[in-house]
Amino acid sequence: MNPGFFGLEIAVRGLYTAQRNLDVINHNVNNINTPGYSRQIANQSASRPVALFNGTGMLGTGSDVTGINRIRDEYLDFKYWSENTTYGEWECKRALMADLEATFNEPSNSGFSTMLDEFFNSLQELAKDPGSEAVRALVKERGITLAKYFNNMATHMEELQVDLNHQINTKVNRINSLGSQIQQLNKQIYRSELDGNVANDLRDQRTLLIDELSKLVNVDVHEVVAGKLPNGKEDKRMLITINGKPFVDHYDLTKLAVKQRADKLNPDEDVVNLYEVMWEDGNSIQIRGGELKGLLDVRDGNEGENGSPLYKGIPFYIKKLNQFVRVFAQAFNEGIIGGVDMEGHADGIGADNSTEIRFFTMLGTGNLPMSSSDFISNPDCYNELTAKNFCVSSDIINDISKIATSDTPDQIGNIENINKLIKMRNNTHMFTEGAPEDFMKSIVSTLGIDSQQAVRMSANQNAMIRQVENQRLSESGVSMDEEMANMVKHQQAYNAAAIMINTMSEIYDILINRVGL
Amino acid sequence: MRITNSMLVNNMISNLGKNLSRMESYQQKLATGKKISVPSDDPVVAARALKLRTDVSQIEQYKKNVKDAMSWLEVTESAIADVGDILQRARELAVQASNGATTPEDTKKICEEVKQLKTQLVNLGNATYAGRQIFSGFKTNQKLLNDDGSFAIDVDNTEGIIYQIGVADSININVTGGDFFNSGNTATTGTFGTIFEDMNNFITALDSGDYAVIDETIGKIDLQQNNLLRIRADIGARYNRLELTNNRLGNDGLNFTKLMSENEDIDQAENIMLLKSEENVYRASLAGGARIIQPSLVDFLR
Repeated sequence: MNPGFFGLEIAVRGLYTAQRNLDVINHNVNNINTPGYSRQIANQSASRPVALFNGTGMLGTGSDVTGINRIRDEYLDFKYWSENTTYGEWECKRALMADLEATFNEPSNSGFSTMLDEFFNSLQELAKDPGSEAVRALVKERGITLAKYFNNMATHMEELQVDLNHQINTKVNRINSLGSQIQQLNKQIYRSELDGNVANDLRDQRTLLIDELSKLVNVDVHEVVAGKLPNGKEDKRMLITINGKPFVDHYDLTKLAVKQRADKLNPDEDVVNLYEVMWEDGNSIQIRGGELKGLLDVRDGNEGENGSPLYKGIPFYIKKLNQFVRVFAQAFNEGIIGGVDMEGHADGIGADNSTEIRFFTMLGTGNLPMSSSDFISNPDCYNELTAKNFCVSSDIINDISKIATSDTPDQIGNIENINKLIKMRNNTHMFTEGAPEDFMKSIVSTLGIDSQQAVRMSANQNAMIRQVENQRLSESGVSMDEEMANMVKHQQAYNAAAIMINTMSEIYDILINRVGL
Repeated sequence: MRITNSMLVNNMISNLGKNLSRMESYQQKLATGKKISVPSDDPVVAARALKLRTDVSQIEQYKKNVKDAMSWLEVTESAIADVGDILQRARELAVQASNGATTPEDTKKICEEVKQLKTQLVNLGNATYAGRQIFSGFKTNQKLLNDDGSFAIDVDNTEGIIYQIGVADSININVTGGDFFNSGNTATTGTFGTIFEDMNNFITALDSGDYAVIDETIGKIDLQQNNLLRIRADIGARYNRLELTNNRLGNDGLNFTKLMSENEDIDQAENIMLLKSEENVYRASLAGGARIIQPSLVDFLR
């Protein structure tokens, strides 16, 4: 037997090893619900044996804990990040398209089709009693209701666009904030790992931040090997790029920024001063994914016109509404349908023998309806007409006898002209899509289909993410049963080592106190 | 596969969420009675719903138009029937006066009655429907006849008031004064229509005792009656057409409403069944979940 208290020392090592293991288990159990936490295990090995010179061989010297590692499959993280980017984009679009659908409020009894139905029904009533003041007033009111419907739609969409603009600003700030947190963590992790350790919990935190970042914007994450450390290990540095340009490069951060556009992207549809997302250093950037792309697509999307995103967003629907009021007003006022000039409201004659009156004009100075003559004196009037400024002309509002039912003066019962106006309702040449309601129907179907696509994409991506998330949890999550079982295991080991100390103590007691006395 | 506590909890929450969202969708359908609430629920149904709503609304409007057209024609028809009665009476009086057996006093009485008949004719010629002159063509706010029976306004026989009674269907609902009172010719201000010419001649003849003219009057009144019959037959045919249109619109309305219902309304019985079954699934998953996540080894270590 070796001299000294060799046995006691081995037993003490056993105590230490068991204790260290229990510490790690304790940490795991504590963090069972910590987001992003990956379970850790203590690496335990037999400590270096001593060679016995009498030919017996090697004598074991107990156990050592050589390191504490986190259990993590980094491939799953990469997969999660790429799926999460797509999820962020479509989930964002899903919510926004639902907003737009609510704006259109179809099918319902208060949507566009009802407004148009009621307007034309009032014209029908007027055709049956063209001299009646009451019915003329009804036509005026229904006309105003129809115009107001478009004003409200346009205003609502503009508000939505402004709102999205703020959201974009907020998201960019959040991205920058995440970037600087990751940058800080990079420093801490790099320093902690210089001596060869693994910064388990810091790495978990960083992964969690990248999880959030990947939902906001398309990022590529790499750990780049930049050479060898003095201790021979690889010098790994974290690199996060957006579209290939470094966003976080180890200790460096290039932030994103927003800048108000000098010129509108969609000249006819956008509100002024929308934000352009760019690099802080002034370089431009094309966002390819994440919530930021969802917001940009819906805010700017106009089927790719004027370099806008190839998505049907708010400008697209504003464009369609504008197109509707322009074509409809021109047809109703002038009788110009599909390039053919027929009789319109201006060609008819009112109860007071007035003629050349446009039923619909636009809001002029002071947001007041323009008169027919002021409106038409502008040769570009129909191109300046928008859903937002569409209105019934001040002539009609001030004097309902100017509603032109007749085609000959002094014939109050003459309904030749109004009958022509009524027929426009079913004129399938008015729009390329067909009659007025067909045009609206096509807008609503387009919106419905796009919204449905967003719902489906978002649901699919959600399922993908859940799948990856489950795999991650399966790999890295803390299992209470496992930890408890291990706890018992190490507790037993601890107990055994303690008993071993007792045993050794007794041996030494006999040796020291009893032998030779 | 290694299963961890977080996975169990996450999966449970996500599955409960899915159950709830399905239940929410059935409840929404139950509460609204509609298959869809936004276009994205089913864009095809939404587009058809818009079209059908418009169709139904148009049919309702055409039905109203047909009813109003029928009323207008009824008023016209009744005025024309009265004119028929007057012509009949005038003819009887002409026959009575022409046989030479009447005393001058009787002739005078007959003359008075004929004058009354003429006044009645003038009143009928100025008949109105809801305050509008029915025989004045487009000038519905102006009387057709002066008190002496001459035309007060010009009415061209082309001044037909047309009501829309279908997408590509319309009907002329008025009879112009000239057509009726001037044997199918136009009415010109200041002139007398043929009916009134005949009546005036009749009255003059009665005054002067000119039996030859009185005798001629019988034939003229017969001609007027023929003209009147032509117009009544025309009105009858138009009224008939309106009745047919009304029936057709009634059927169309029913069909389109039915189509609309089939397109967007839910089958309540089926929906309630599905909701109930979804409720059961939800309960089961709650019960199962409660069992799975509760116990762990911790509960058994003493």
